[in-house]
Amino acid sequence: MEINEILILSMFASFILLLFTGFPVAWVLGGVGTVFAGIAYLCDIHLDTIIGIDFNSIGIVVSRIYKIMDNWILVALPMFIFMGNMLDKSGAAENLMKSFQELFGRVKGGLAITVVLIGIILAASTGIIGASVVLLAVMSLPSMLDQGYDKKVAVGTVASAGTLGILIPPSIMLVIMADQLALSVGDLFMGAVFPGLVLGALYIVYILGWGVLKPTSMPLAENIQPVTLGLWIRVLKSVLPTLLMIVAVLGSIFTGMATPTEASAVGALAAVLLAWYNGKLSFPVFKDCLHNTFNVSGYIFAIFIGATMFALVLRELGGDEYIESFLTGLPFGPYGIILFILGIIFLLGFVLDWIEITLIILPLVAPVINALELSINGYGVLDNPELVWFVMLVAVTLQTSFLTPPVGFALFYLKGVCPPGVTLGTIYKGVIPFIVLQLLGLTLLLLFPALVNWFPAMVYSP
Amino acid sequence: QAKPVLLKTPIAFGSHLPALGTPIKWVSDQLPLVSGGDVKMKVYEPGKLVAPLEILDAVSSGKVNSGYSIAGYWAGKMPAAAIFSTIPFGPEAPEFMAWLYYGNGMKLYQKMYDDAGYNVHVEACALISPETSGWFKKPVNSIDDLKGLNMRFYGLGGEVMQKLGVSTSLLPGGEIFGALEKGAIDATEFSQPAIDQKLGFYKVAKHNYFPGWHQQATVFELLINKDTWNKMSDSQRAVVSTTCKASVSNSVAESEFIQFDAMKKNVEERGVVMHTWPQDMMAAFKGAWEQVLVDQKKDATFAAVYDDLQQFRDNYKVWSTRAFITRSE
Amino acid sequence: MNSEVTQSPVAIADLIDRGLIKLGHVVSWVYAILIVVIITQVILRRGFSSGLIAIEEMQWHLYAIGVLIGIVYAQACNAHVRVDVLHSHFSKKWQHIVEILGICILLLPFLFVIFYHGVEFVAESFRMSERSLAPAGLPLRWLIKSVIPLFTSLLILACFSRLYREIVLLKRGE
Ligand code: NA
Ligand code: NA
Repeated sequence: MEINEILILSMFASFILLLFTGFPVAWVLGGVGTVFAGIAYLCDIHLDTIIGIDFNSIGIVVSRIYKIMDNWILVALPMFIFMGNMLDKSGAAENLMKSFQELFGRVKGGLAITVVLIGIILAASTGIIGASVVLLAVMSLPSMLDQGYDKKVAVGTVASAGTLGILIPPSIMLVIMADQLALSVGDLFMGAVFPGLVLGALYIVYILGWGVLKPTSMPLAENIQPVTLGLWIRVLKSVLPTLLMIVAVLGSIFTGMATPTEASAVGALAAVLLAWYNGKLSFPVFKDCLHNTFNVSGYIFAIFIGATMFALVLRELGGDEYIESFLTGLPFGPYGIILFILGIIFLLGFVLDWIEITLIILPLVAPVINALELSINGYGVLDNPELVWFVMLVAVTLQTSFLTPPVGFALFYLKGVCPPGVTLGTIYKGVIPFIVLQLLGLTLLLLFPALVNWFPAMVYSP
Repeated sequence: QAKPVLLKTPIAFGSHLPALGTPIKWVSDQLPLVSGGDVKMKVYEPGKLVAPLEILDAVSSGKVNSGYSIAGYWAGKMPAAAIFSTIPFGPEAPEFMAWLYYGNGMKLYQKMYDDAGYNVHVEACALISPETSGWFKKPVNSIDDLKGLNMRFYGLGGEVMQKLGVSTSLLPGGEIFGALEKGAIDATEFSQPAIDQKLGFYKVAKHNYFPGWHQQATVFELLINKDTWNKMSDSQRAVVSTTCKASVSNSVAESEFIQFDAMKKNVEERGVVMHTWPQDMMAAFKGAWEQVLVDQKKDATFAAVYDDLQQFRDNYKVWSTRAFITRSE
Repeated sequence: MNSEVTQSPVAIADLIDRGLIKLGHVVSWVYAILIVVIITQVILRRGFSSGLIAIEEMQWHLYAIGVLIGIVYAQACNAHVRVDVLHSHFSKKWQHIVEILGICILLLPFLFVIFYHGVEFVAESFRMSERSLAPAGLPLRWLIKSVIPLFTSLLILACFSRLYREIVLLKRGE
């Protein structure tokens, strides 16, 4: 084994091991990168390698951080976090959850289904896992736990419904993937619609089924009222303001008032107005929202910064070529290679966030996919149907890996906003059934590429 | 005998993009063959090592030993840099080559970096033909139609549009399609037909305008850290220079070859209407560009380089206005 | 998840952390400004044409200040994401030791690299009087770039505060 390869493998190994010491994830990423840069430098001096890392070359990390700073698309992240916080403070979320709960009161798991539905709605407005998970958690966890839901079911539902956001358009992940692979963003957005709906449907079917099989995990509310006209009116009244806010976000995108990035600020403003309308807005409340947003976006971006250092050193060590030569040397058939690549992406999803994976892995594997000469139907409209389909498989795989212990980004974000009683262990157990559902969804997409490609072909056919 | 050299080269455009990125891939394939393994190049896709806009600093400080980009990306540091990649109503490819290689172009190009204190050696390493003038949702029949239009437009051409009442913005590549589709912008320019089709603009904006007055030809540069360059043997340097020069002709050929196919598809299969700017519109663009030029020439280096280019072009006209059959025939 | 320092008091460290948290509270207003700026942009796009690129750039300037200083704030609040599966079962003593070793071996070297090259990065931008690539964009790029050495130096300060706190608590046996 080459010294480079030993270093690449031990870099991954030390990262995983050090994570479990409980030192912050961001600093383990950045620190392991830095330490291995030093080791590589010493190897060049003492071991006759030519890696070419030194204190000067590692300084590139600063321009990489600057690239995170001037990323106009990521501006949406703190805005959506603010919107989520304000929505929480406005009392509107509570109203919404309560009235949905009354409406679905007679159905076992009705509240969980509400969460999935709201997750799908929110997904369409955020597109950032951190933001959707946080938003959904602050909105729904308290009411689910109050009603006596099994903690595992509650957090599992929130984590999985929240991660749908990276898939359902407008998704910044798809934007960046399109950019990397020279695909049309429109094709990817439309291609993601059905996969997102399929996953949402799988969640709902599962929750309904589980509600029947194990009613104690999803108890009904204590005082169920019959569904009367009065209830419908109350539901409507509580839904309306929040609905208006969501309409403000989506509407400003669909009417062309704003880009998806700008729509995040429209949403933030709408949440402030909503809180004001409900009489919940005050100076301390506003300040508290700002502080919370500041904190949450701070720890999310620390991970971005740590990961950029880790990826830089990995690349300088030749991690890219290592993976590429490995892939091209595989003895499997086309679908075997695809499954293998998805497997690797799944594993990498434990340690790297989607930005790093999108930047590292996708450009590496895209030529491999194109060379497989699969016959995926593009209906004469899509420019590169194989790649559009494959990107969607990757997107679902990534979404799954964010849900998967021990290192799932969605789980960490969720932990950040959970009530003190919920441990990471509970979250780990809670997401397991949803991981199975994800794998089921993935299999469907593998077997029926039309689920991905038909819709964009129809929308964009001349 | 100098040691074999490995150029670690971050690039500003993905190597999968025809004409924008394919030429440097060709260079990296040719270098070891031409030099018998004495010069190698490892290409890093955009952002993998360093972001496109940071390439100059990284090469100059020796964090990487070379990089591939367009000089226009350094216009925020040296306004004159824009001229060395493209300017509105600038020269087309053969004229550009004439100025760079036999006029003062390359000398001024290197001098600009030297005077600004950058520790780099520059080679022109690709050159591509005109861009389209942009994709519009509605036809533009007069200057009035431009007023209040929201358009994505890059660089000095964007300044020209702004002078004509267009509200320009600089959306990143990945945001353009979504913004155009939803109507957050009404029009966009990006690149040549063969490249624009990859971003799918034809799906939502059906009016494609020509000629690309803002970008008649675009030069791409290979930057090499000067310490690395000085340590290379004469033979190694000749391999790099000659391969870059070969790449210039290769990329002109490629970019000239790939456009008609995309344009035919646009019209025949995608319902795109192709327009040619009428005389009065071209005159208006030209007039606005002259105003922009007055602002730009406040920078001494910009003025010096521009005047040299202009002097060359005045002389070149003596030849070009008589030598060629006009293009439209 | 709130910004209170909940550990037992360690005088100097408390002082530093409280200072950084105060600073964070002030800087957090960039997000309020950001909302206003983006909304202004959305309104201006309809009909006015001046200064749009400058407003677009102002957005990422504000966001960049927010997220980077936010990292310091999260450090002072001890809010960074940890994998707590095993960590929560460690004895207090081992938790302190992990923190001390982690800061010394992993975090401080990482921050030093960013700080050192960050200063160079800003100096280079200042030397070239770098401005936006778009002629209508914002000038003084070195100003926004200097947030990089600024946030790292504040983060290093927060690290020393944390290091001091951990050592004191380790000695006290808390
Ligand atoms: Na989304
Ligand atoms: Na262009």
